[in-house]
Order: sequence, then C-alpha cells, then structure tokens
Amino acid sequence: MIGLLLYLLVGVGLLVFLWVLTRRKGAPVEGCGRQFVEARQALRTLQLGLLPENLIQRIFDREDFRYVMAVSPANIGELFLQERKRISLMWVRRVRCEIRNLMRFHLNYSRLHAKLSLLTEIRLALDFALLLLACRALRILLYMRGPYGAGALVGVLTAAAGRVCAASEKSLAFLNPSALESFRRSSAGDGAAI
Amino acid sequence: MLSLLLWPAGLLLEFALLVRSVQTKTFTKYIYFYAYISCVFVVSAGLFIGHSRLEFYEAWYWPTQFATLAFGFGVVLEVVRQALAAYPGAERFARRASCAVFVVTFCYVEWQVARRAVWPTEAATVELERDLRVVEALVLATVLAIVFYYRIEIGKNVAGMIVGFGAYVGVSLTTLALRSFLGPRFNAVWGDLQTASYFFALIVWTVALWSYSPNPKPPTTGRNDGGYDALVHGTRAQLESVRSNLRGVGGS
Repeated sequence: MIGLLLYLLVGVGLLVFLWVLTRRKGAPVEGCGRQFVEARQALRTLQLGLLPENLIQRIFDREDFRYVMAVSPANIGELFLQERKRISLMWVRRVRCEIRNLMRFHLNYSRLHAKLSLLTEIRLALDFALLLLACRALRILLYMRGPYGAGALVGVLTAAAGRVCAASEKSLAFLNPSALESFRRSSAGDGAAI
Repeated sequence: MLSLLLWPAGLLLEFALLVRSVQTKTFTKYIYFYAYISCVFVVSAGLFIGHSRLEFYEAWYWPTQFATLAFGFGVVLEVVRQALAAYPGAERFARRASCAVFVVTFCYVEWQVARRAVWPTEAATVELERDLRVVEALVLATVLAIVFYYRIEIGKNVAGMIVGFGAYVGVSLTTLALRSFLGPRFNAVWGDLQTASYFFALIVWTVALWSYSPNPKPPTTGRNDGGYDALVHGTRAQLESVRSNLRGVGGS
C-alpha cells in the first residue's frame, strides 16, 4: 500500500509540475543588462526606500503612539496601532520582496556559468530559503506582537539588510554611469532595456 | 473500444508529425524525439496490422513496449539537451542530478528483476514497466525543477515535448501502479487511459511541433566563466551577514 502511494505520488507530482509549467508566466528574455539593472533597482529600493534610518524610526517609534494616546480617545489610539501594524507588515513584505530580487539576480547570473557547482548551488538555495523563512517569521512576529513588540528585531533585520545591500553593491559596482555606457554598447539590442 | 478508435487516429497523427518534421527540417534538430516517434509509429502500425491475430499480438506486445520505453528515454534526453543547451551551468546541474536519479532508480529496478528466479510473468512485466516509468518521471521532474528554479524560458517545441511526454508518463505511471495493485480487473480502464493519454500527447506534439519554434535566446552579455567564484563568494558574504544577524533575532 505504501509502495502504491509512492508511485501515485510520483505520477501525480509530475502532472502537477506540468500544470505549473503550462500556467507559468514566461519570464521576459531580456539581456543580462536588464538583470543587472533590476538588481541595481532592488538595491536602490532597499537602501533609499526601505532601510533609511528615519523611515524605520518613523514606522516603529513609540513616541507617535504615546502622543496619539495622550491627545486622542482610546479608539483613535487603537486605530493608530492598527495602521502602524499594517505599515510595518507591508515594510517587511517589501524588504523580503527585494531580497528575493537579489536572489533572482544570483540565479539569472549563475545559470550561465559553465563552472557552476552543484553542491554550492544547493547550499546557496538552502541559505536563501532559510533567510526568506526568517523574514517570514519576523512578519508573523510583527503580526502577533504588533509594531512595538518587535522593535529590537526590526533593528537587527534593518542592519542585516543594510549589510546585504553593501555586499551587493560591491557585486554591482561596475554598474556606474561610465560602465553603463560600455555595457549599453555590448548588450544585445533585441531585449536589453537600459 | 476507445483504444480501437484512438489507435488508427494516433497512427495518423504520428505520420503527420513525421511528415511535418521532414517538411520543416526539424527531424535532425530533434533527432532523439523523432527517433522515438518513428519507433512508436513502426511498432504501433505493426501491432495494428496484426492485432486481429491474438497470438501475434500477445507475443509482440511486451517486447515492443519495452523497445518504445527505451526510446522514450531519448525524449527525456532531448528535453535536457534542448531546454538547457544555452545555460551551461544549469545544464551541468541537470545532467548530474538526472544521472544520479537515473542510476539510483535503475539499480533498484535491476535489483528487483534479479531477485526473480524466472523471466517475468505478465504481472511482473507490468511492475517492471512501472518502475522504468518512475525513472523517466523522476528525471523529467528533476529537469522541470531546474527549469523553474533558474527561471529558464523554453520554446513552444520543447514545452510541447515536455507537456506531452510528461502527461503520458504521469498517467502511465499512475495507471500501472493501480493496475499492479488492483490486478487484471483494472485492465480495461488501464488500456483506455493509457491509449487516451498517449493520444493526448500526440495532439500536444502535433500542435507544438507543427512549425519550428526554437528556445528564446538567453542573454549572452556578461557570460564569464571566471566570474562564478566571485559571484558565489559575494552571495555567500551577503547570506553570512544576514544569517549572523538572524541568529541575534533568535536570541533576543
């Protein structure tokens, strides 16, 4: 019976894979230039849009909540708390999304290398998966404890994401304006969007 | 009954596929795939001509079935060759992973066969075919997982090959597993489902391979074999920094 279930699992699993294949939205076949630019954009969004200290302080600062509670009725305070929770969840989701973009950059770039190492790729895939899982865990924590219940964790994640950006920036350092010009010249004209 | 209706229709589709492959000059481009179609066409036509004589049919069904099964591995090979040709890294990944899956599963099947004292009876032959279908299904699933993971874009021709052959293998495997569990009372349903799934595959192949549609060209700029170590090093550094901070998250 267990054998039968295993065979059915493999057969049905393959059919599910095929269903996913037919439903898959075709990723645009762009030049490498586009991938680099997207990775650069992900970095910029993280650095300028999501991780600036003043933005994080604004979202997670208790002072705003204390002020609202001091000058408004309790129901307004509740409403404020709900809104802040919503914003903080949105923030984590965006950070996770941009980390995924960086991951996608790695995949798009590594698949072209003939020297790609099977073990290294498996290890990296696990690492990325764990990191994304951790982001999700933080999201759950924020959801359960609210925006002011995970302040320390937010600080840690912000610092970590900042370091990721710094490291990624080094990988993409060649994408400065002068390098872009040479890149534009060498990109395939049929798909690159710089 | 359904099988008898779909059989000649399937032969016509196979013939149409082969004729189109010559017209569009894709026969040599997808040589393993068309070798499989040619093999199935010859076997199927032969069995169709002689199916009125039960002895002939019974004597030739299983040997020819195994011949087509062996040629079926050519389709899997074609899929790996075509889908990942432009991505040397992913292709190498797929080749090694597929070889590992193939060797492990095939050794298991061989071991099962060696345990039998006599040449397989019909029931054992069904089990053998089922086990070989498992190899095909697992290799195909491995290739698909790599295609999804690396977001590799595949053309209409190769997508058709994968969907058609995958559907046939998936349905065959499921019905063969049920048949070896339920026994001969499942024979009628099994035969119809097997024929219908192969007919479905033929329709998919005819539509997808009617004209030549190669895989989209991948980006070529920036391909630099020497850069992989640097890329991995950079990605590792990023992950390590994040991980060390997440350890802090866990501790706080």
